[in-house]
Amino acid sequence: MKKSPQQDKLEALLRSSKLSACGFLGEDKRSLWEIIDADATELERLGRTREDVAARMQELTDQAVPALGDWVKVGKMFQVCVDDNRGMIPCPWPHAVRCLKRITTIHHLKTGKTVRWSDLNIHLIKEHGFFEGKGAPFRIEPKDLVDSIFAS
Amino acid sequence: MGTIIIAIVIISGVGAFLATLLVFAERVITNYGDVEVDINKGDKKFTVRGGGSLLETLTNQKIFIPSACGGRGTCGYCKVKVLEGAGTLLPTEEPYMDAQERAEGIRLSCQIKVRNKIEIEIPGDLLTIREYSCTCEKIIDYTYDMKQFNLKLVEPTSITYTPGQYIQLLAPAYEGSPEEVYRAYSISSDPANKSGIELIVRRVPDGICTTYLFDHLKEDDTVRVNGPYGKFYLRDTNAPIIFIAGGSGIAPIKCILHHMKNTTIKRKAVFFFGVRTTKDLFLVEEMKQFEKELADFTFIPVVSQPEEGSDWHGATGRVTTVAEEFLKRMPTVSDCEGYLCGSPGMIDSAVKILADLGIPEDKHYYDKFS
Ligand SMILES: Cc1cc2nc3c(=O)[nH]c(=O)nc-3n(C[C@H](O)[C@H](O)[C@H](O)COP(=O)(O)OP(=O)(O)OC[C@H]3O[C@@H](n4cnc5c(N)ncnc54)[C@H](O)[C@@H]3O)c2cc1C
Ligand code: FES
Ligand SMILES: [Zn+2]
Repeated sequence: MKKSPQQDKLEALLRSSKLSACGFLGEDKRSLWEIIDADATELERLGRTREDVAARMQELTDQAVPALGDWVKVGKMFQVCVDDNRGMIPCPWPHAVRCLKRITTIHHLKTGKTVRWSDLNIHLIKEHGFFEGKGAPFRIEPKDLVDSIFAS
Repeated sequence: MGTIIIAIVIISGVGAFLATLLVFAERVITNYGDVEVDINKGDKKFTVRGGGSLLETLTNQKIFIPSACGGRGTCGYCKVKVLEGAGTLLPTEEPYMDAQERAEGIRLSCQIKVRNKIEIEIPGDLLTIREYSCTCEKIIDYTYDMKQFNLKLVEPTSITYTPGQYIQLLAPAYEGSPEEVYRAYSISSDPANKSGIELIVRRVPDGICTTYLFDHLKEDDTVRVNGPYGKFYLRDTNAPIIFIAGGSGIAPIKCILHHMKNTTIKRKAVFFFGVRTTKDLFLVEEMKQFEKELADFTFIPVVSQPEEGSDWHGATGRVTTVAEEFLKRMPTVSDCEGYLCGSPGMIDSAVKILADLGIPEDKHYYDKFS
């Protein structure tokens, strides 16, 4: 598929480290659209939509925000901690969205698994279906995420 | 095989020729000659060679407009008011402008080109911002994720700022981060020392600038900063002061406390400083020293989750909850001013509490950066 100059520009920005250390694509050689496509297929296989996933991530973040950085127990299964840092990071897509540099870490008490995301991850998944490229520091594997956040 | 090589050579040759032609055409066609830039109706005027972005043109003249995306049109920070000479709003600017900004002629300075005479308006304090070359004199480890960086000014050799303000520090390219970025850090030092500044920085997971500061910057290295910026400073009143800070948010408050000591300000002040565990506590001795040196200053460190078995006997809980309990018992609390510095979550929570205590919102001071 031929890419538009805007798509080229976006992909170049995502590969660069202008907005995020090591970029959003890591060592992934696939194009942005291939990455998004592959993760969308995986999500469908897992029986979830990106909206479901983002909503659940946001819900877990929101429950731990009032604890101001302390670990809190959410339901029976999770310990959640939201680490809030000063400053905002812009979404690389060309629209006026900026997210807090805030990291949510969830620890699943039964499986012992830990998953982390930033506010920007939630936005990227919800609005752009983008879980980032393999090897990028904030890449989230859809399966790990779904297994963790919907585990009971 | 031979034919393939010949084809490659021909294609490369044609490519190189076209590229040269393009560069040449760009030089001729986009030669805008000298153009005048007028700032704040004649306050500052200069002539530059046209063709560059407004942001770049201003930076070259050492006029620093806030920017967080390096001029890529993605952060929306670099807004200036253009009175004349910028043409119509570009599609790349549209998402960042609301109706009022459009009506006022606000533009993204990184997106518009200086092609002909241009008249702009910027806040006067941006004209006093300078760029400083410094040497990293000392790095102090406070905790596992908190360090202080003492920077000595090399050129220019002195800086004046209002205690509470911040600078922007340039993180140069380093391995894994090939592009330079600027980040804001509050000045924590004694403002009486004009030949250097101190910064207190917390490591942010996989952060561009904090990875540079923590893992790459060494003592004696050169560091570039520009500033000062910000409206977080002590108001000139006699109102009692409530400081609430978390983690690196102690930085501008420490600077303000030095200023209060230097200028013998005798206002009543209480400082709630929140951290998570006792391992996160730092600068406690310095704050106790301020308690001795200032007329009426109380320092209350608050640990939210003291480690099991730790011998912590101080205030325990969330910093804002502890502050609320304490302040409720203060009879004149609604006369106070609140100075807040920390994570957005902490600020939101503190603002609510101060409002509930009857302190009007125009007496809550903090750096907004949304
Ligand atoms: C006015 C002001 C004053 C400040 N003063 C201080 C101070 O005194 N001390 C201090 O320590 N800090 C201060 N800060 C914060 C500081 O400016 C920086 O924001 C902070 O140090 C982080 O910068 P960084 O480059 O290391 O992180 P960045 O690289 O800018 O951001 C890292 C964070 O962004 C998110 N992120 C990055 N890449 C991705 C990705 N690919 N996918 C998803 N999420 C991603 C994550 O949350 C990550 O943790 C201040 C900020 C402001 C606005
Ligand atoms: S510098 Fe970021 S939008 Fe202009
Ligand atoms: Zn977006």
